[in-house]
Amino acid sequence: MATDDLTLVKRVKTGDQRAFKLLVERYQRKIYAVALGMVKDKEEALDISQEAFVKVYKYLDHFKGDSSFYTWLYRITVNICIDALRKKQALRGEQVELDEAVKMDTAEANIGALGSRLGTNPQKSALRKELAEKIQQALETVPEKHRAILLLREVEGMSYEDLSRTLQIPKGTVMSRLFHARTKVQKILSEYLELDESKSGIGNE
Amino acid sequence: MALNPACQTFIPMLSPYVDGELTPQERVTVDHHLNVCRDCTGRVADLRAESGLIRHGLDLAADEVDFRDFAQKVMARLTPYKPPLMERVRISLSEMFLYQRATMVTSLVTAAVVLFVAVPTAVLWKGTPEGYARPQMMVSSVTVEKGAKVTPVVMTTDQGDAIIWMVSTEQASSQDGAQPSQEKAPDQDTGEVKKLDQTKPNGGEL
Repeated sequence: MATDDLTLVKRVKTGDQRAFKLLVERYQRKIYAVALGMVKDKEEALDISQEAFVKVYKYLDHFKGDSSFYTWLYRITVNICIDALRKKQALRGEQVELDEAVKMDTAEANIGALGSRLGTNPQKSALRKELAEKIQQALETVPEKHRAILLLREVEGMSYEDLSRTLQIPKGTVMSRLFHARTKVQKILSEYLELDESKSGIGNE
Repeated sequence: MALNPACQTFIPMLSPYVDGELTPQERVTVDHHLNVCRDCTGRVADLRAESGLIRHGLDLAADEVDFRDFAQKVMARLTPYKPPLMERVRISLSEMFLYQRATMVTSLVTAAVVLFVAVPTAVLWKGTPEGYARPQMMVSSVTVEKGAKVTPVVMTTDQGDAIIWMVSTEQASSQDGAQPSQEKAPDQDTGEVKKLDQTKPNGGEL
């Protein structure tokens, strides 16, 4: 049976570096997926993932074990991503997105468009590269913090309780942000699929 | 498309419904609504499809990355913790038992075998005279029975050592002058006897 996170953290604190390597190997893939969903660029996502682990190691003494290790790790990752996005926006002279002030487009997509075309198992529908890119584009339209919630929920499968702890927001906020993020992403994806269908007939089964 | 007023209450609940985050009571209420509302059933299907799509899309993107060196690169950027010396020794030992348990156990067993079997065997082997068993005997004196006629018999080994028997051939009835010379016989006989005296006693010698 694999050693649990907290035991490994204790070992790292006594100087056992191999224990930290085990933690890196355990979470590297998911941390990368979240970072990629947040910043879109592959190289940048890899750099951010590495930085997140380095930071976690550096501040390990601050981790008291009150919450799970992975919620702490994801919180650090999301914060690094948000910092990186804000730096980029500032460099481009764009107005920094104040999350709570963002007006959400809650207009609904064509109901059932995604479900009827993809079913519940997207693997069956042979996810194509363009569709994967479209997912990235759709994520980009969602405000950072809403995006973070959506990614943590979908990639890590975090419960609302864990999301609330990770992002240090009330559970009600988790619920509403997740709802808005999903509405937005759904709309873009179903529009893309409808357009795609009219071009090539995908989903006509 | 006009929104069904009944759906307005349920739409925000559909996302936590899909995530399994509703209370059992709320879940039952949503289930009842889904039984009668086609639109909300479609919305639930959309949520599930979207969820799978994002998960699978990012999974595919992560598949394209080679993570073999990732952990190594992270480790190279770390400044290791340096606990005090005694703590480091303790950690090294515990790490050895943790990560190389099999090797450690094998080494300890081998060391124990060497210590308790091989070493005593080697020591005992060296101390035992060739061809003879313990206990080792030392010659303290050589005497000849008074009046006996003694003839020395010398047996020389391939290693140059000599074994000498003094054979009493007959009981002298008369006191001839042989006795003194017989008593000295080993000394007069060959140099091998002297050699025997100089060497470590081999046991079993007269």
